[in-house]
Amino acid sequence: MDKEKKNLNRREFFKGGIAAAGTLAVVGTATFILDKSAAKSMPREDFLRPPGAISEEDFLYGCIKCGLCVQICPVHAIELAGAGEGLGFGTPYIAPRIQACDFSCDALQCVETCPTAVLDFRPFKEEGVRAVEKAATEPGADLSTVNPFEVQKVAMKEAVRMGKAHVNRNTCLAHKGEGFKGNPRGTDFKGVHRSPGKNEVSASPLKDRIFDREVCDLCITECPIGEKAIIQRRSRSGRKLIPHVLDGCTGCGVCQMVCPTAQPSIVVEPF
Amino acid sequence: MLSDYFSNAKKKSPLAPKTVEQMPHTLAGLSFKDWRDSRKKNHKMRNIRWAVLLFMNLLFVFSYWLDLAILEGSLSGSRLIGFYLMDPYNSLQLLAISSTTGYLAMLTMNFWIGLFTILIFWLIFGGRSYCSWMCPYHFLAEWAEKVHNYLVKKKKIKERSYHIGLRFVFLVGFLLLAVLTRNLVFENLNVVGIVSKAMIYGPSLLLLWVLAIILFEVFVSRRFWCRYVCPIGATWSLVGKASPLAIKFEHDKCGYCLECQKVCLVPHELWFVKRGAATQDVHYVGSDCTRCGLCVDVCPGNALTYAVRGASSLL
Repeated sequence: MDKEKKNLNRREFFKGGIAAAGTLAVVGTATFILDKSAAKSMPREDFLRPPGAISEEDFLYGCIKCGLCVQICPVHAIELAGAGEGLGFGTPYIAPRIQACDFSCDALQCVETCPTAVLDFRPFKEEGVRAVEKAATEPGADLSTVNPFEVQKVAMKEAVRMGKAHVNRNTCLAHKGEGFKGNPRGTDFKGVHRSPGKNEVSASPLKDRIFDREVCDLCITECPIGEKAIIQRRSRSGRKLIPHVLDGCTGCGVCQMVCPTAQPSIVVEPF
Repeated sequence: MLSDYFSNAKKKSPLAPKTVEQMPHTLAGLSFKDWRDSRKKNHKMRNIRWAVLLFMNLLFVFSYWLDLAILEGSLSGSRLIGFYLMDPYNSLQLLAISSTTGYLAMLTMNFWIGLFTILIFWLIFGGRSYCSWMCPYHFLAEWAEKVHNYLVKKKKIKERSYHIGLRFVFLVGFLLLAVLTRNLVFENLNVVGIVSKAMIYGPSLLLLWVLAIILFEVFVSRRFWCRYVCPIGATWSLVGKASPLAIKFEHDKCGYCLECQKVCLVPHELWFVKRGAATQDVHYVGSDCTRCGLCVDVCPGNALTYAVRGASSLL
């Protein structure tokens, strides 16, 4: 009797086990295929991985989808992808046109908080240390006036490479020789940023800001990196002043957010 | 002594069943039925547990919404006042994949601290107690279970059960899948994570999957996910094997009424409550037990209580 029961039990286990294995095989193959096809059709220009993101292939399994980076971001730039968005359910991304990363946290907090290092802090840390050492050894450097924290902050920020901005010559106001007056994104736009020109401590709503420029240069003046990333220069014909993106561009997307044209005329393309 | 700690004494020969004179209802001077039903309305432990579960899950939600920074993140990975906590099955998958890709060395110290902190915490507090005291899906499933039991009682549906060891097939299977596809496959199906994240970051399409599982539990098989699938529970069950916190069973107070088995999520762990099944005067419920306390609430003789295993031998 007992042996019979044991056999029955074992049979039940194998029956269930085979069903479970079958389910797993189906689920596994489906995820694999969906993942591959989604990765191909990824709308890459619509989203950026947060600063310090490692290669997409490693990112997809390394990210445990806890959302700590989402929670720590002071401007709420990071969102978690929903199902079927082709980014891997629950992985973080930044949609810069809606809310760009403006570095107002000052120390790459999303990267620092990531427990699995898919947002890898080490390169930034090294960059910061190097910058402080360099500042201290520079000829004529007065150690009493060098604030290592400030130096580190700036160096870490400048080491970010989420992508690079590209200007669309056909729609850019500066390329058309036009200026801009007013509110770039309308009065109901929810995005915030810390303008480099205003010396603010934290970010403030973009909708509260009114600009008046003879030649539109919002992407240049609002860039949190400054002249290492984007400058204004004369066009070849010499008649127009146009924005020119340099290799120092971090791909933060502030330019994309503040661009006043209906479709952004400057777009960050992820690497 | 150590072997006693881990053994459930199932293989020993059973004790002689108690005579009518020795039964607790006779000693209390009640009829068996009155005695059996005497604690049916008692829900003390369940209410405490629900309060803890809801408090912890709402703490996650409000930490984010109100920027309280007490318990940040989600059940997949979190930070409690600055200390990291990692979901072990999630971490296990990650470790399995990254050991094949060399990513292992990249993982931060916070990750390791978080993983070991949570393992030690639940090792002390009972392993699968995570399920009944923390897991938001467990809370939903308990309500689904009530509906299911009602339908079974009204004979609208037939009860279906499967082998309890299937969880370990899924545990190993999803680990293999993760390595093969280089993706945290289970995380896309993980109803615990989906519910937790939906509460904190807003609903997603995958809630439909949760709904499907709940409907399956209501109409087909009682507590299907928790009993037969969830590899997170299976991981905790392994951790709980060595846990000192367990439900203690005292044979002399038991009236063989089986009320405890009726409410239990894992009735196979209460194998010794049947008349003539117990092999020792005292048994500790095995590691599949979620320490939910439903049996403690319902036991008319107080034969089942929360206890610390091995405490008596230490004192």
